Amino acid sequence: MEALLYLFSGFRWQDGLDILLNTYILFRLYVLFRGTNVIQALLTICVLWAVSQAAVSLGLIITNWAMQGIITVAALIIIIVFRNEISSVLQTKSLKSFFWGIPRYQFNTPLNIIIESVFELARKKIGALIVLPLKQSLDSVVQGGIPIQSKLSQEMLVSVFWPGSPLHDGAAVIQGKQITRAGVILPLSKSKDLPSFFGTRHRAASGLAELTDALVLVVSEERGEITLFKENQTHTIHNRLALGKLLQADAGDDSTSKGIRRQTIELVAAGVICLVCFTGIWLSFSKGMETLATQEVPVEFINPDQRMEIISSSASRVKLLISGARPLINAIKPEQINIKLNLSQSVVGSNKLTITRENILLPPGIRLKSIEPSELDITLDTLVEKELPVQPQWSGKLPKGLVMTEATASPSTVQITGGGLALRDIATIFTEQISLDTLTESGTIRVALVLTPASLRLKKKDPIQINYLISKRPSLF
Amino acid sequence: MKQFFPKNPIPLILFFIALGLIFTTNICAEPSDATLVQAVMCESIENFQPLNPAVIFSISQGEVFCFSNFDPVMKQTHIFHRWYKKDNLIFTMRLTLSPPKWSSFSRVQLREADKGPWRVEISAADESLLQTLRFSMVD
Repeated sequence: MEALLYLFSGFRWQDGLDILLNTYILFRLYVLFRGTNVIQALLTICVLWAVSQAAVSLGLIITNWAMQGIITVAALIIIIVFRNEISSVLQTKSLKSFFWGIPRYQFNTPLNIIIESVFELARKKIGALIVLPLKQSLDSVVQGGIPIQSKLSQEMLVSVFWPGSPLHDGAAVIQGKQITRAGVILPLSKSKDLPSFFGTRHRAASGLAELTDALVLVVSEERGEITLFKENQTHTIHNRLALGKLLQADAGDDSTSKGIRRQTIELVAAGVICLVCFTGIWLSFSKGMETLATQEVPVEFINPDQRMEIISSSASRVKLLISGARPLINAIKPEQINIKLNLSQSVVGSNKLTITRENILLPPGIRLKSIEPSELDITLDTLVEKELPVQPQWSGKLPKGLVMTEATASPSTVQITGGGLALRDIATIFTEQISLDTLTESGTIRVALVLTPASLRLKKKDPIQINYLISKRPSLF
Repeated sequence: MKQFFPKNPIPLILFFIALGLIFTTNICAEPSDATLVQAVMCESIENFQPLNPAVIFSISQGEVFCFSNFDPVMKQTHIFHRWYKKDNLIFTMRLTLSPPKWSSFSRVQLREADKGPWRVEISAADESLLQTLRFSMVD
């Protein structure tokens, strides 16, 4: 029980949604493709993938390499070989049946109409070939045919095979209460065990029965004989009761409680298997791929006293060692991790703030291992205003023979706002560097001020002008 | 009714203004031992007079002077020349003043590292600031 709890520790609602969503997608794929060989091919790929994973864990490099190659090629082959099944699923189903509907096999097929039609055709010695598909799709096996989608009736079925009818050559496909296609060409059997009196129609019926699970009824044109082909078995039908029994066994009315229960159990089992599969995949992601990572996160200071200002901090970013599933670690965005330090209890001067787990916000499923540094030195200061004189900062060299006798700033003082501690030792605000090299006569120059530290602010951002007087150096003689 | 104000009040008003000025002057004027009449930065001193007063000095000149002239000097006292580079105090010179008037100066040798904005604060013996001279040392 403890092991189970450990496995599901850190389980988030997002994980539950993730598993259910993917389970449903897999279940829908099963529902849509069941009865086709695509499912079997996909199962084969799953087995190959399992072998590949086992090879990785055992360190079998070549086997793993080979399996990976086979899986890649097999996936490609599946798409090519089963393109008909895939396109029929994607094209013929309505949106509702694609996302929600559950097709049931031979649902409500009126077998008595088929039986009566077949016996009428036999009595009149009209050749016929009737296909009743079961679980497996016929799309990749049969060719041609004209879509009819007509309601199944004795008259309709007989008229399809009436000599001279455009569709009497080929097979008629019956699904549920409809004749879906007619004039369909079936693959011929290559078996050498078939009786010599079997013609092309019987060989076609046998060929389809060998390749799929469909039931195929043949009415002999020459002898008026009825034959039912099912897998590799051939049943010669002598009376209505025998045909009814055989059809009922496989293509009977599945709306009966037994049939519905059977299909429901199958779908529930498929759903449970899908759920187990994705739960296993989630566990392998979340537990099997646990990884460590270091994130450098900026520290956010909250609830500061409005009169105070942060003058310095021993660090502005903190390294967090975190652990979690690799996909979750890789998916972390910088804004998902926050470190918030409360400054409400801090005082003017130096403050030591300890970073605890409560200060750190991590995304779900991510665990914190360590914090570096776990303590920050923050210096806070109160905001004060100070009037300071402005002094020009000259650079370069005046042209020879000239002397600057006066330089005044206008305004001569500026009002500065900043931390009291920072402003305590500042007695002058200097201008940016002003080059002397090009100055030859008295004038005025507009300059900017250099505020150090950068936390200082000018109360008024009026331009500063430097008025200077330049005169010729008096001659010594 | 007996008249309180004289017919011509102007002499009386002038008398009160004069009285007010005398009192105000006596209250605001701080008792000072010496009065600063001139303070300049210059390239040299010749005959107790500043030579080439300026606000920009090239380090190639080798030295710079801070000249201060006090007149009158009531009694022997002293003043301070405090030299700052940017806002850092570099050195302080204590200078003695003697009656009846006195000129004094301090100077610094210029080096390559001295380039930048400077100021000299001239303060009295009681540390009161008399004048600040701002200048720069350049190439």
